[in-house]
Amino acid sequence: MTTIDFTHEIPVIEGKPAASSIDEMVSAPLNQKPGKVWKILFTITVTMLTVGSVALGLTFYYGIGLWGNNQPVGWGFDIVNFVFWVGIGHAGTLISAILFLLRQKWRTGIARFAEAMTIFAVMCAGLFPAIHTGRAWLDGYLFPYPNANHIWVNFISPLLWDVFAVSTYFTVSLIFWYIGLIPDLATLRDRATTKWKKISYSIFSLGWRHSARHWQHYEKAYVILAGFATPLVLSVHTIVSFDFAVSVIPGWHTTIFPPYFVAGAVFSGFAMVQNVLIFVRQAFKLQHIITLNTLEKMNQVMILTGSIVGYAYATEFFTAWYSGNQFEMFTFINRALGPYAWAYWTMISCNVIFPQLFWFKKIRRSILFMFIIGVFVNVGMWFERFVIIVTSLSRDYLPSSWHMYVPTVYDLAILMMSFGLFFTLTLLFVRTLPVVSIAEVKAHVDGAQPVHKGVH
Amino acid sequence: MDYIKKELPTKINKIGWILTLAGLLIVIISYLVDVQRTSYNNLIALIFFSGIAIGALILVALEYLAGAVWSTPMRRVSEFLASSLPFMIILAIPLFLNIHNLFQWAQPELVKNDLALQHKSAYLNVPFIAIRFGVIFLIFYSFYVIFVRNSRKQDTTKDQRLTKINLKFSAAFMPLGAILLTLFAIDWMMSLVPHWYSTIFGFYFITSTLLAGLAATTYVAVTLNEKGYLHPSIGEDHYYSYGALLFAMTNFWAYIAFSQFMLIWYANIPEETTWFLLRWTGSWKYLSVGMVLVRFAIPYVGLLSYNSKMNPKNLKRIAIFILFAHLFDTYWLIMPSYSPGIIFSFYEIGFPVLIVGVIILVFYAQAKKYNLVPIGDPKLQRGLDFHL
Repeated sequence: MTTIDFTHEIPVIEGKPAASSIDEMVSAPLNQKPGKVWKILFTITVTMLTVGSVALGLTFYYGIGLWGNNQPVGWGFDIVNFVFWVGIGHAGTLISAILFLLRQKWRTGIARFAEAMTIFAVMCAGLFPAIHTGRAWLDGYLFPYPNANHIWVNFISPLLWDVFAVSTYFTVSLIFWYIGLIPDLATLRDRATTKWKKISYSIFSLGWRHSARHWQHYEKAYVILAGFATPLVLSVHTIVSFDFAVSVIPGWHTTIFPPYFVAGAVFSGFAMVQNVLIFVRQAFKLQHIITLNTLEKMNQVMILTGSIVGYAYATEFFTAWYSGNQFEMFTFINRALGPYAWAYWTMISCNVIFPQLFWFKKIRRSILFMFIIGVFVNVGMWFERFVIIVTSLSRDYLPSSWHMYVPTVYDLAILMMSFGLFFTLTLLFVRTLPVVSIAEVKAHVDGAQPVHKGVH
Repeated sequence: MDYIKKELPTKINKIGWILTLAGLLIVIISYLVDVQRTSYNNLIALIFFSGIAIGALILVALEYLAGAVWSTPMRRVSEFLASSLPFMIILAIPLFLNIHNLFQWAQPELVKNDLALQHKSAYLNVPFIAIRFGVIFLIFYSFYVIFVRNSRKQDTTKDQRLTKINLKFSAAFMPLGAILLTLFAIDWMMSLVPHWYSTIFGFYFITSTLLAGLAATTYVAVTLNEKGYLHPSIGEDHYYSYGALLFAMTNFWAYIAFSQFMLIWYANIPEETTWFLLRWTGSWKYLSVGMVLVRFAIPYVGLLSYNSKMNPKNLKRIAIFILFAHLFDTYWLIMPSYSPGIIFSFYEIGFPVLIVGVIILVFYAQAKKYNLVPIGDPKLQRGLDFHL
């Protein structure tokens, strides 16, 4: 029945690689000319980015009337995409900060990559609120600063809190990521063979010399930043959920939104990280660092967060009935049976039903299945935001003002652009910086740490 | 494994009996004097007690599911705490007898004139709530029996497969437990104000439950270990882990509680604000402010630093305080439905004394029969060798 030996820890890094081989392995892609596959992928993503940028430029020129937004559906793809991308970012911080505080060693191999994805995802996310204002060149007024026009921000609006939350989150994530990079940049500096590489890595490694004192400070800073990032990551999606939940719109105003949004964010973020890592570990031959065990654990986190999301759907539905409030009841019946039922059932099947397959160990450990389910989860989580935003707005209290929402080609192009941006940045990242943390991985190779009685 | 079992001093048994009998006496007198007020206290007792017992059970399952090793040497403490689970039934019997005193939805003359209550009566009716209570108890108790039986069997057989079986059951336990605790919270607390609803309420209760189980386990485990009943290898690093979890859960509780308050306050819909308004009238206001201090600020400050989590004295103090905060919270959740202002008298004392007494008695009986450390657990040695 069992082959697992509970008396011993499963090593995080498989096969006891020598420290030098880890250096070689991780820095190899940085020293080679890009291959054919990379070039093809890069062309595709840059094309997506460019085509989408044209659509965005046209939006700037003609205004957001080009989009499908209407009265009463004032929020469409813009905010759906915003929430989706912020959510994607959450996995990185969960892995790098929360799992670090929980001393989960399996995070070691994937933390760097996940954090990078956080930063790129938050960039994509930041784009949408900036353009949904209609006149993006006036967005400076979103920040409260004294100005000649006496324009002041509305401090009681959660939309403003979003500005603060997302920008703080971005800053802290960036610093956290950078701090983690410093020892690796120093390693790369020491290995650099060309002049320009040497200079740039020297500048960014801030004179790191791998001395004991450096490490001591580094570890302290890392714990403190992890401590900061943990409440931050919760606060960001909580405030995103406040955008909806502080209103009095049925389907938006419900108290479970904060934890439910955070769980959903981690859920979709893990799916995205898992999807991308499957390719990265293959392409860079990192299977012994980003192990199958690690991917399995990611899938376990997905089933946990996915189940929390399912629990939230069920609670909302039940409470809508329990409340006896006819508007609440209508909203939820409308979601399941109304004109957007197809979106609702896409969401339910992708987020709640398919991830349940991860209860089976075989599926959790099958690369093909986990990839497919990961894609489903991303689709499902995108549709979740669509369902929440669009169904509630399109049929509000007053039936005479009901209106359907249909996205236009510009909406779709700008969505494509955000994916283009995200993957372009990811592709650039894998060519310029180490995709796994060299220093941290070395510390987790079997035998790297002192042992007690032969057991960790 | 060099564990030598030491018997707990019989003094503990005596204290348990004294507290149980004294508590029982006060409870009986309370019931004779004022049935309604005592019923509300009985309800507080049920929730407070379930928090500790079910919370300890969740900890056991969580350890298996997460593959945690650091808590394995102390798992028996959680198991023993969870073993008093059947006491839930005894606490619930008087509630069912007095259900009309507690809930508006159980009073037919009120339901007759209220459309919302009629709508809810499909869910909120006495037979159905009784069935739900039975199911909730049975499922939790069955899982308790499975976990503990396998754990004890392992003491002699050292069979690794048993850990694997418990792991599988704990995976099934988590989603079921979350749903059941949510229903439990709706049935016994949310429905006290039958028009009020809040979707986060289940989360709130689950967090409180886990916090209570964790605090109780921490207090007992640290106390026993400091007196040398567990194992000399258990030390600061293990204490730190308990402290860190208590700290995390305290923060999480604050997050959930704040989310609930904030969203209801901001949207300002009359159906929802009534619940908080009730807790902001008269002297309840002071208690509501006190919640911020007792349930969040004090434990937060008390556990913030590295050393405070490692120092057994401080950790014990905070753990007891968190248990008190759990009682405080439960009182705050329930009592405003009964009284227009803060009330405190012997009625409020009887049940907590009784509960502490019963838990001590059951714990003592269990500790007499079984090892205080799961000596056959394959993760035990790793747990003992655990270092930060």
